[in-house]
Amino acid sequence: MYAATISVALVGGDVRPVEVQVHVGRQNEQFKLSGLPDTAVREAKDRVRAAVVSSGIRFPNRSVTVNLAPAHLPKSGTDFDLPIALGVLAASREIPPPAGAVVVGELALDGTVRSGPSTLGAAVLSARTGTPCLVGRAAAGGVAAVPGSRVHGVSSLAEAVNLLRSGLEHVAGVAPEESVEPPEDGDLSEVMGQPLARRAVEVAAAGGHHLLLHGPPGGGKTMLARRLSGILPPLTGAEAVEVALIHAAAGYERGLSRQRPFRSPHHTASRAALVGGGSGVAVPGEVSMAHHGILFLDEMAEFPRANLDTLRQPLEDGHVTVARRGLTARFPASFHLVAATNPCPCGFRGDRRKPCDCRPALVARYRQRVSGPLLDRFDLVVKVGRLERDANATTSEPTLVVRRRVALAASRLRDGNLGLQSSAREMLDVAVANGLLTGRGGERVGRVARTIAALSEGESVEEEHVAEAMALRGEW
Amino acid sequence: MTGQQEIGPESGPYPSGLLDLEDPPRLWLLGGLRGAPGIAVVGTRRCTRYGLDLAESFGSAIARAGWTTVSGLARGIDTAAHRGCLRIGGHAVAVLGSGIDVCYPPENKPIYETILGSGGAILSEYAAGTPPDRWRFPARNRIIAAISAAIVVVEAAVTGGALITARLGAELGRPVFVVPGDVDREMSEGCNRLIRDGAHPVLGSADLLEELSLVVGPPASVFDTRHGIPAEGVSIDDLPDLWSLTITETLIKLGRLEMEGKVRRLGDFVVPV
Repeated sequence: MYAATISVALVGGDVRPVEVQVHVGRQNEQFKLSGLPDTAVREAKDRVRAAVVSSGIRFPNRSVTVNLAPAHLPKSGTDFDLPIALGVLAASREIPPPAGAVVVGELALDGTVRSGPSTLGAAVLSARTGTPCLVGRAAAGGVAAVPGSRVHGVSSLAEAVNLLRSGLEHVAGVAPEESVEPPEDGDLSEVMGQPLARRAVEVAAAGGHHLLLHGPPGGGKTMLARRLSGILPPLTGAEAVEVALIHAAAGYERGLSRQRPFRSPHHTASRAALVGGGSGVAVPGEVSMAHHGILFLDEMAEFPRANLDTLRQPLEDGHVTVARRGLTARFPASFHLVAATNPCPCGFRGDRRKPCDCRPALVARYRQRVSGPLLDRFDLVVKVGRLERDANATTSEPTLVVRRRVALAASRLRDGNLGLQSSAREMLDVAVANGLLTGRGGERVGRVARTIAALSEGESVEEEHVAEAMALRGEW
Repeated sequence: MTGQQEIGPESGPYPSGLLDLEDPPRLWLLGGLRGAPGIAVVGTRRCTRYGLDLAESFGSAIARAGWTTVSGLARGIDTAAHRGCLRIGGHAVAVLGSGIDVCYPPENKPIYETILGSGGAILSEYAAGTPPDRWRFPARNRIIAAISAAIVVVEAAVTGGALITARLGAELGRPVFVVPGDVDREMSEGCNRLIRDGAHPVLGSADLLEELSLVVGPPASVFDTRHGIPAEGVSIDDLPDLWSLTITETLIKLGRLEMEGKVRRLGDFVVPV
């Protein structure tokens, strides 16, 4: 006797259907599981048997063979428990087969269904194929917000069995829950002084320019970087799903939050943690977790140079390829890079008040830790000075006001009607011809000038926009 | 090393100030000395940016006045003073604590070369090849004090060569000018003590020039700004206040000046070209 249920696997920031095929044979009692299961999947056998029995249903005392197809794709996690259980019951004719429905969920020994990271994947697959999905109740409302999905939540195996016996199509899916937005990372108006850095943050947000903040400790580099995510427009619905899927693949439940991710890996993070890794299955790294959001490298020069250089591929292509034994996965990794760094190892070079103890050779070596090609990616390089205690606390613009301006500028940039005025073009050409800018540097200044023009609601890029872009192109 | 000459009290170029010392030393000289009054700018190697900015602006201001900037080529304040002087093509004299051909610290080789290239002079008591031993530096300081008409101390702890230079200078009757500092800062403590002991507090470049002109005569030219930027340079953070412009206006003006090649950036520091 044979039955199949559909479940889902997360592969490289996307979902793939997995067919859970169950055959119940005539031989003596045994339970076999194939299709590259990891340990967690293999242990499903014991959970499934106990959950079925606890739910007051007969578990077939025959040979049960389960295959997870495609069999060459490595499977991991505990979310295959429920589809295996339902498959076994369908194959032994206890319930009708759950035709087409996508099923995920981990089973407790008493038959309770728990929600795992694949829950979101099930909703996404449901939306894509137009079939309903059956998931643990706890997370059902959250993932039901995936547009076009039909989500049924169950809290126990018994409930799932009843639902299938009465026919899924006769029951309405759960209503989508409004996702609760986590509080913002503080308002821009809390940043005292720092007009230069504040302007750079605004330009960076509007044009998606990578930003390097440098200066002594205590100037508020981290504070500024965190507030950059607040002035970016919120994620679109589709982006929110994309981001949540990647986070789910890393084992985090993020919900369909519209807030842009802000990832801040520590400088001791391994290369695998940065770009992705995992054993057996591919797990996304920080660059992918920061997809559509901000990757903040605090103390950039403290990162090993080799690790920093792994960022160049995602910066170039917008995705990373993670090759693991058995599987090569591609994760999206289109992020906004913001880095902060001290001017020297002790942090006080260039400070107006504190002496710097570093020998010049040490400072030179410190700066060499960031490769030229990576430094080239930063369109904006600004100094964040240490705040004097008596800094006159002028009230500065709140995040909301800046966010509105940034959103307008971003849409103007997307429309792409901002041409370079001939005088502005000439200004740039002369700067390049005089050796003031390299060819690449000229392109960068031109890009930033376009963003500045968009922010100032100009019709085209004028000389003054190029001039300001030039001034924001500092040196570390 | 070619071009070096040994000079003593009998030689023409021998700085007359050295005769105030009990035992006027014989010196090695590279490059050229001038008759213009020399002003020593000295301070700690472990200086702050504030100190660097000041030392550099003093170096420039002194050179602009047509005087010679004297210092010891050490890291920190000394380097900044030399750089400020050389930036506007002034006459610089460096007195070394090592052999006349030994540039210490090594990263100041460009400054060493520029001093010679722009008509300045390198002086040392020690023959070519003498290594930069610590104990030679205090002896070097008495030469700095003696050949200078006045001594300016920018930042100094209570222990350090700058204070030795100042005390030796005072004993030789040279006026000592000192930048006052916070009472709780190590690198101001030496300065503040000098003031307590009778040195003149310096209230800025303009004030220093005024005071110095009372000592060595009126300057050849006056302290000025170009393109709205002080000749000795300014930190980009201070530009909006200096120009009374918004940050955007400041950046536009700065960018234009830069593109026209009228200013140059040294890190976050802006200097007129």
